[in-house]
Amino acid sequence: MSDPYRVLGVSPTATDDEIREAYRNLAAKYHPDVQGKGPLADIAQSKMQELNEAYDKIMDMRRGGGKPSSEYTQQSHGGSSLFAEIRRQIQLGNLAIADDMLERIDVDRNAEWSFLKGSVCYARGWLNDAYHFFSNAVKLSPDNPEYRAALSNMNSAKEGKMNGDNSPYGDKTRLCGAGICDTCQLLICADCCCECMGGDLIPCC
Amino acid sequence: MKICDYELYKAVYCGLCKELASFGIASRMTLSYDFAFLALLYMAVNKTVTEIRREPCMAHAIKKTSYVCHSDALQFTAAAECISVYHKIKDDIEDDGGIKRLSAKTLFVPMKKPYEKAKKFYPDLAKITEENMSLQHKTESGKCPSVDRAAEPTAAIMSAMAARISDNPEKKRILARMGYLLGRFIYLADALDDVEKDFRSGNYNPLLLQEGCENCNLENIRKIARDSIYFTLGELSNAYVLLDDLMYKPIIDNVIYMGLPYVAEKLLRGEKISGPRKHSPAERNEII
Repeated sequence: MSDPYRVLGVSPTATDDEIREAYRNLAAKYHPDVQGKGPLADIAQSKMQELNEAYDKIMDMRRGGGKPSSEYTQQSHGGSSLFAEIRRQIQLGNLAIADDMLERIDVDRNAEWSFLKGSVCYARGWLNDAYHFFSNAVKLSPDNPEYRAALSNMNSAKEGKMNGDNSPYGDKTRLCGAGICDTCQLLICADCCCECMGGDLIPCC
Repeated sequence: MKICDYELYKAVYCGLCKELASFGIASRMTLSYDFAFLALLYMAVNKTVTEIRREPCMAHAIKKTSYVCHSDALQFTAAAECISVYHKIKDDIEDDGGIKRLSAKTLFVPMKKPYEKAKKFYPDLAKITEENMSLQHKTESGKCPSVDRAAEPTAAIMSAMAARISDNPEKKRILARMGYLLGRFIYLADALDDVEKDFRSGNYNPLLLQEGCENCNLENIRKIARDSIYFTLGELSNAYVLLDDLMYKPIIDNVIYMGLPYVAEKLLRGEKISGPRKHSPAERNEII
């Protein structure tokens, strides 16, 4: 395994808190709850695993123990064997085959059918359709955590959230923040108001 | 973004312009920031370090501008641009009336030579582009109501181009996904830019035919389009965070987390992004 400190992007002299912070930041990017089941899910998963191992190793080295708080474990899925096969095909990236199998099911298009159809669309990058099918899956089976996770991921994207975005600027619609123009306008406005009331903020105008 | 990062981005743009000249004069007129970003991504992934020179620039008369020197990144991107522009022009001639068709016709003949040259370097890219443009022609003439399918050809072309950036199989997959979503974003941005015009003229625009858009006003159509845009950006960021070990990361971060959402917001407010995105980042306060 490569240098665990490198994996976490911290120096070997970093404090435990810094390491925990780095771990949390990276885990937030790679975590399957965030990454969803797209075509890069396996890459994200192996990065998550590498991250967990690096974190464990550092913590072991430092005090012999300490498990990461949010270690990811693969979930198992129930469902019929046909759906299991479709899942397998999606995971292998055989989207056309998976889609074909789904299209052949014309009775009993249940929540899982909708979810898998959504997953195929998602992997293709057909995000509008994916959202439609994920919504449908949640509507049919509101308590299923898998369907809800897929939908809530897309909902947070819909609200403009981007993975790994640490920009301190907050509202992106105003790239330059309160720029010079805004500031001047505000001052002039304030001056006008003051003048209306008989006062004066900027004496020269 | 720091000033030096911004300078580099501009230098990539200018370097790409000079590189395009080696394909033919006409191709220089087609440069866009989309491709400058592709060049930068290439340099970031492959850690291309190039010299920056200062020289007088054709477009700015005698004013000296900085530009990055010839590299694989620029050569590849210039070729990709020639291929994509040539097919775009061909498509415009086939299906557009009016001014767009006229300007496409003027550019068509001079673009032929740069295209042939680029095709010689990357025959596979030329083939994928050609196939997808004919697919696009079909979706448009069939008035396809699905935004996902309408965006597919542009997305697939960008995906194939971005995948060429790295030889590492894992990075290739990440870049292909990023390229797909970037292409999808570009298509949606263009559709959004045209939506008002198409709304009046009745020309094909997938945003006008979406579910729930029947008898809608422009404001509601834009509201529905907003989701498509932000799904795309969210998914783009999911792929992007998997791409580690990048040079020039602050600039790429800036484009992805600020430049693209800024363009999106501007278009969603109904403001125009004029021309083929030729303005410098400074003028528009954003980068793409």
